[in-house]
Amino acid sequence: MRNVAIIGVGYTPVFVSKRKDVNIVEMISEAVDAAFRNTNLTPEDIDSITFGNMQTFEGLNLPHLWASEHIRALDKPTIRISTGGTTGMSTLQAAYYQVASGLHDVVMAVTWEKQSEGDSQVGLTGIVMPEAMVMIQHGMDLFGGRGMAGMGGGSTGAASYQAMSYLHHSGASPEHIDKMAALERTNASKNPYAHLRKVTTVEDIQATPFISWPLRYGHTCPTSDGATVAIVASEEKAKKLADQVAWITGVASCTSDPTTANLIEGQLTDSAEQQPARIASEKAFAMAGIKNPKKEIDMAELYNGFAHQSLMWLEKLGLCKEGEAHKMLDKGALDIEGELPTNASGGVFSTNAIGASAMNRPAECALQIMRKIEGEHQIPKKVRNALAHGWGGLFQYVTVVILSDEPRKAK
Amino acid sequence: MAEQERIVVTAVVPLDYTYNYRVGPYLERYIQELGGKKIMAIKCGGCGKVVVPPRKVCGECNRVMDEWVEVGPEGTVENYTVGHVTLNKGLIEPADPPVTLALIKLDGATSFLAGEVRGIDPADLKNGLRVKAVFTDPAENSLTDLDHFEPAG
Amino acid sequence: MERKVAIIGQAQTKHSEDIGMPRERMLFELVKGLFGQFGITRHDIDTFVLCSNDFQVGRTISNVFEDTPVGAYMKDETKVEADGVWAVTYATTRILSGIYDTALVVANSLGGSEFRPYLIMDYQLNPTYDRQLGFLNELSTAALQARSYMDKYGMTDAQLDMIAARLLRNAAKNPNALQAKADATPGYVAGSDYLYEPLRKLHCYPFTDGACALLLASAEKAKDLTDNPVWIAGMGDSIESYYVGERDLFRSRSTRLAAERAYKMAGISDPMGQIDVAEVSTKFAHQEPIICEALGLFEEGSGGEVADKGLSEIDGEMPVSPSGGGLGAYPFSAAGAICVAECFRQLTGSAGDAQVANAGAAVAHGQDGFCAQHNAVIVLSKEEG
Repeated sequence: MRNVAIIGVGYTPVFVSKRKDVNIVEMISEAVDAAFRNTNLTPEDIDSITFGNMQTFEGLNLPHLWASEHIRALDKPTIRISTGGTTGMSTLQAAYYQVASGLHDVVMAVTWEKQSEGDSQVGLTGIVMPEAMVMIQHGMDLFGGRGMAGMGGGSTGAASYQAMSYLHHSGASPEHIDKMAALERTNASKNPYAHLRKVTTVEDIQATPFISWPLRYGHTCPTSDGATVAIVASEEKAKKLADQVAWITGVASCTSDPTTANLIEGQLTDSAEQQPARIASEKAFAMAGIKNPKKEIDMAELYNGFAHQSLMWLEKLGLCKEGEAHKMLDKGALDIEGELPTNASGGVFSTNAIGASAMNRPAECALQIMRKIEGEHQIPKKVRNALAHGWGGLFQYVTVVILSDEPRKAK
Repeated sequence: MAEQERIVVTAVVPLDYTYNYRVGPYLERYIQELGGKKIMAIKCGGCGKVVVPPRKVCGECNRVMDEWVEVGPEGTVENYTVGHVTLNKGLIEPADPPVTLALIKLDGATSFLAGEVRGIDPADLKNGLRVKAVFTDPAENSLTDLDHFEPAG
Repeated sequence: MERKVAIIGQAQTKHSEDIGMPRERMLFELVKGLFGQFGITRHDIDTFVLCSNDFQVGRTISNVFEDTPVGAYMKDETKVEADGVWAVTYATTRILSGIYDTALVVANSLGGSEFRPYLIMDYQLNPTYDRQLGFLNELSTAALQARSYMDKYGMTDAQLDMIAARLLRNAAKNPNALQAKADATPGYVAGSDYLYEPLRKLHCYPFTDGACALLLASAEKAKDLTDNPVWIAGMGDSIESYYVGERDLFRSRSTRLAAERAYKMAGISDPMGQIDVAEVSTKFAHQEPIICEALGLFEEGSGGEVADKGLSEIDGEMPVSPSGGGLGAYPFSAAGAICVAECFRQLTGSAGDAQVANAGAAVAHGQDGFCAQHNAVIVLSKEEG
């Protein structure tokens, strides 16, 4: 396979809860323009486009069709990828494969969500819609305080079961969730492309109401409008087109079964077990030539719709031992200045334009490696290898991308 | 498969599934100008094309289009179809009278606008027919303020 | 490209207006049947590329529920949300990257029994304009495209009927087709009701439940598994303007560019001479000449003449859609994958009554969007090349 690098990233100017001033395709075009600006490229330089967003959230089917002009796709190969929460990273991986295969040299991956125009919880509930309908027919209340928890599709309710299981197995306390939440929100305050940008204390988090124990409102991610574009290139092209690049040295995805969070048909798999994270990360590490991830990975960008997940993923992805993540948090190891800066960007937890959320992880890693971070959250130490993680499906699907400061060595 | 009674469950979604689409600045101005019985198009500073409804990007030229041009209200039928059916939420329903739908090149525009031509026998709908826009009066600040077209002259 | 990719097997459902079983069972049986052909298990598959559409399935992230039936549990899986031909190109891309040796493509839709296809198509429209006004829909746009071609090149209604009748007759030779008639005549087609002029009901695809699975492998692996591989010699795709009012509807710019890319990769300079059979995703009869001309299989504007002379018949100079194409069955998401599968059947000599004599190279096509806005082309060959 050929070596592939991210040579540039473009974000919409802001990620906010409601972009009232532009329509969907206009918003996407802002990130495309930013990617061109940041790389000094033009559409003529792009061989192919990959495109992804969360299915059905905006009530749009195959939106790449409407967006074709605005993403500068005319006369180009274009493919739409859609895997749920992981869509952003799946879309980047599609771009990666197109270059690694030798089919194309420069590929643009376009990911976005404009969540304000639809209803995300309704969209998510749609995952288990047929089952939810059975519940409705049996008189369950969808709208009451516990309705969402009962449905399982609404993500906070289902995530609370995961959080409970994680706390039980790891020995972490609910206060560790508060602490992780405060850390990430504070990180986000330094990131101009984050949505919730407020210096936040543990006390601030603890002052928010519980949604479904142990998860509080302050443990949950926002819904955002925004778009992120990454341009990837072959080794030869990357060297011509960019001074600084970040190499994609490992890619993987893994799925398990939908009973992981299917509270209605019966939850057969512990949703805190997350075997796919282990399988995908091991595969990606092997591809990247990383033998000891605990030592060799310098930073992590994790997909955390909920604050407990940052700790959980560090363990499931092999970046620390099971039950150690909260100890690392207590030691300050997860801070921007720490040994393993985790979600220096603020994570999905602070910015969540869903289709772009799993793209923002490798985009952040790439900019950290290139030392091109805008804002105050540049990791001070040299980042050689970074792990970007995506999570989605029905709690059971994981993607991993490893980014490095040097290309993958041929074996 | 052996004959057996097949069970189908019907899911009626008791949720308010509403989308609120921001139309963006281009369509906002277009709709506002319709209220004054003006059809505003956007011109590309690169290739010179004039498209209606207006939008932000000229994909061919990689340019943001920003030159507003008034077009119409008359134009020429460039393509048409007579619909003997309509689609109502995806279901085919007979159309009586038939729907006369045309792609119309408004004077001054380079793109074709889809619209309904009324006041004409469907058999007389032909390419080259001159038509003019008919506006809703009073205007409702809506896309449908350009209500339909009718033969010109 | 350092590698070659082959298709080593295909499986299709018997397409129908109501498959009569849950999607999960349909996919389980389909994939189990395909594995059975080669005596392999799910553990022999390195990567799964699924293809379905959440709007059509009626649930978000619908691939979640397909993973287990197709055998992707704890495996690498991804989903293309487009026509199935893109799932084939993506699976091929993944094998070409050198990271995977085998890939399974599974594409499906229950467009016959589970939802209203024309409603779902409306959700592809610009929601701030076209969807608000309701002028453009699946049928009216197709009618405008048909009129554009017929006016430009003088193709008659009778010739359009001939295309549809030929496809319906071909479909009668395809055991999996849904809409078929062995003795279909142009008059039979002309006897069906007008929808939007010039399109009548029998010019259009039927609403179809169906699925298609394709097993792909690297050259080395393919030779382990079969003596009869079909090679993916070239592929390409292209998208054009969304705006129907800014396109020349009588031609398919994006199909032409897609074909140029695919032919270049396959080393085809003379498609008329080098391609033996085409399987084309025709949602509507008039799209066949538009797409075939863009594929370089016939001269531009020759649709009427091709129909009159029977050039695209199974025993004609350039057989097109011996399977019946999109008029025989059109399960969304799967349609383009089925074109690839039908080319596979032709090139392996297993197309039964629809078999084209001495087929060595084939072209498959898939499309998305109003008036075929987005098109992909795959060239297949018996020769490894």
